[in-house]
Amino acid sequence: MVTSTPERARTPGADWRVGLSDDQLKELLYLLKLCRYFDERMEALYRQGRLPGAIYSGRGQEGTHVGVAYALRPEDSLFPTHRDLSAQLTKGLDLKRVMAQYWGRIDGYTRGRDGNSHVGDWFGHRTWTVMSHLPIAYPVACGAALAYKRRGEARVAMGICGDGATSNGRWHEALNVSAIHQLPVVWVVNNNQYAYSTPNPLEFRVPTIAERAAAYGMPGVRVDAQDVLEVYRVAREAVERAREGGGPTLIECVSLRWRGHAGHDPAKYVPKELLERYMREKDPVARFASLLIERGVVDEEEVKRVQERVENEFDEGYRFAQASPFPVPEDVTKGLFTDDGYWASEPSREGGTG
Amino acid sequence: MAQTGVESAAAGHGAEPRGKRTEDGQATYLVAIAEALWEEMERDERVFLLGEDIGVYGGAFKVTEGFIERFGPERVMDTPIAEETIVGLALGAAMEGFRPVAEFQYADFMSSGFDEITTALARYHYRSGVPIPVVLRAPSGGGVRASSFHSFNPEPWFAHTPGLKVICPAFPSDAKGLLKSAIRDDNPCVFLEHKWIYRRIKEPVSEDPDFLVPIGIAKIQREGSDVTIVTYGMMVHQALEAAEDLEQKGISAEVVDLRTITPLDKDTILSSVAKTSRALVLYESHRFLGVGAEVGAMIAEEGFEHLDAPVVRLAPPNVPVPFSPVLEDAYLPQVADIEAAVEKLAAW
Ligand SMILES: Cc1ncc(C[n+]2csc(CCOP(=O)(O)OP(=O)(O)O)c2C)c(N)n1
Repeated sequence: MVTSTPERARTPGADWRVGLSDDQLKELLYLLKLCRYFDERMEALYRQGRLPGAIYSGRGQEGTHVGVAYALRPEDSLFPTHRDLSAQLTKGLDLKRVMAQYWGRIDGYTRGRDGNSHVGDWFGHRTWTVMSHLPIAYPVACGAALAYKRRGEARVAMGICGDGATSNGRWHEALNVSAIHQLPVVWVVNNNQYAYSTPNPLEFRVPTIAERAAAYGMPGVRVDAQDVLEVYRVAREAVERAREGGGPTLIECVSLRWRGHAGHDPAKYVPKELLERYMREKDPVARFASLLIERGVVDEEEVKRVQERVENEFDEGYRFAQASPFPVPEDVTKGLFTDDGYWASEPSREGGTG
Repeated sequence: MAQTGVESAAAGHGAEPRGKRTEDGQATYLVAIAEALWEEMERDERVFLLGEDIGVYGGAFKVTEGFIERFGPERVMDTPIAEETIVGLALGAAMEGFRPVAEFQYADFMSSGFDEITTALARYHYRSGVPIPVVLRAPSGGGVRASSFHSFNPEPWFAHTPGLKVICPAFPSDAKGLLKSAIRDDNPCVFLEHKWIYRRIKEPVSEDPDFLVPIGIAKIQREGSDVTIVTYGMMVHQALEAAEDLEQKGISAEVVDLRTITPLDKDTILSSVAKTSRALVLYESHRFLGVGAEVGAMIAEEGFEHLDAPVVRLAPPNVPVPFSPVLEDAYLPQVADIEAAVEKLAAW
């Protein structure tokens, strides 16, 4: 197991920008801010009773989500969970359609058949439509990776799940099978230290998740996810190794879940000092913005403009979602199988918005 | 169901070679299934097989014997004992354009892959629109002295799960034609083979590489006028034997073989009941909430005006499949039980 060197970005002499251009660094800043702002605003709407369904905040974990997904190419696939919407946004999902999904509208990626972050866009951005059961998509990522390997395609599948999901049997099955067949997969564990209310010590006995990699015969890396560039660097290395036929890697990204498990959970079980320390010292969004200022890639003004841009995009997404019609009730039984052609045709837009 | 020499092979232990067609072109159910797989693999290179011990060993029942020599280890892929991941591999590869056929060593072990089947595989298309051309093949059913963990009929679980097509053929031709249709279908199909039938039932089977039997259509295996027996799988053969005996007693039984559980062919069932006015629903899954519970309710609801007698169910009691031949025979509906039930119905 390798523990990555944190703070490479501030180490004299190191390639602090890990090979990224100014434009790419600015894109990362935009993505981090977009994901943060989306998360905050959606929670506010939820609290005001203006958002139906559930929310699963990924706040504090943007370094993980943006960092790992940024290492993928468009043709690579991503198999995330409920917590990983920011990774899907980084992969390119349209914020407007994501928001339509939250309000159960026809323009949502699932046409109103699922809500919240249970979203995906297989044909567009190669992301799995999230299912609750943990980690249900890990075995499926093996299947996609098997397809790439069979066809000799230089493509990679990435599976993400939380620390809690690593206790489930299929997590082990999937890692084992991916190693046996040297499949082009990258396994990411978003270790935000809690599974709902259950802390790491009640989930596993070993000190780190990354060291489990050795038991399957693959490299394991543990990275501090306050530093998006370091996460990106580690993920890129794993992705490129997989792409070149070097097999799977397990990456443990360590952060803290800043909010409750879901919108309803005040998370009183997280020690206040721990949370405050992470929010003060390890905020991946604020840290990256100040790094880029420090290095002269952006100035305060530009950071403000990025913020305005994401706020405008959110407002636009909100308006789009509210204007998008509901699905029509008569369609409830359609599209269970391909036979009726429901998904191959445009759905009815007669459902109204009220 | 007398104990015969084929039982140990049927249970999967020390299985003999799969065998071939007879000289006059008859194929066993086992051979018919192997032919379907072989032909579809020849026809479409996106089709591949995966499962436990299916490569060099040829599978617990020898369905894939000789396949690895022809198609190689990539298309005849041995997996570890990891049922959730076998299903996940099939699903992920299907999403990327392959047409995988996964073999469960026994249908009993489908419970070890249950979540990936009933949650991932079944519910993916409805929420995403992605076609999922996956077939899960599994040897199911009892009557082969294989006890609790090698005799199960899981079809009610999967028929109850929206998003899966469930196929339970009783004859070699249907097995071949339906399996080929399932492989060409863009949706997840659970194909439940019956171990008791594997080496017992033989018939002439088409060699046309495009011979298909459509999914979702029942077949009247024997015409009759007094009582309809709605059934599938191994019980079709018991029903046909009973119908033969009943003929001697002057009772004419019609045997409707569902062939597929979902989609359910209501039309064939209801038009048979319209003719006979009496229905026995015979099935091998547990009586309580089994396949026949739905079929019986459907007849009562949609065919009430045709009925001269209550719909009757005949099925195993709600206990695990027992081993001792005495107990297993008490558990499974026997030909004599079917005859008694039909006679009672005919007397209404
Ligand atoms: C198999 C399964 N059991 C229970 C749940 C309910 N559940 C949803 S999220 C969650 C906690 C997950 O913790 P972790 O894997 O650490 O991910 P996180 O939510 O912290 O990102 C639980 C128990 C589930 N989704 N799947």
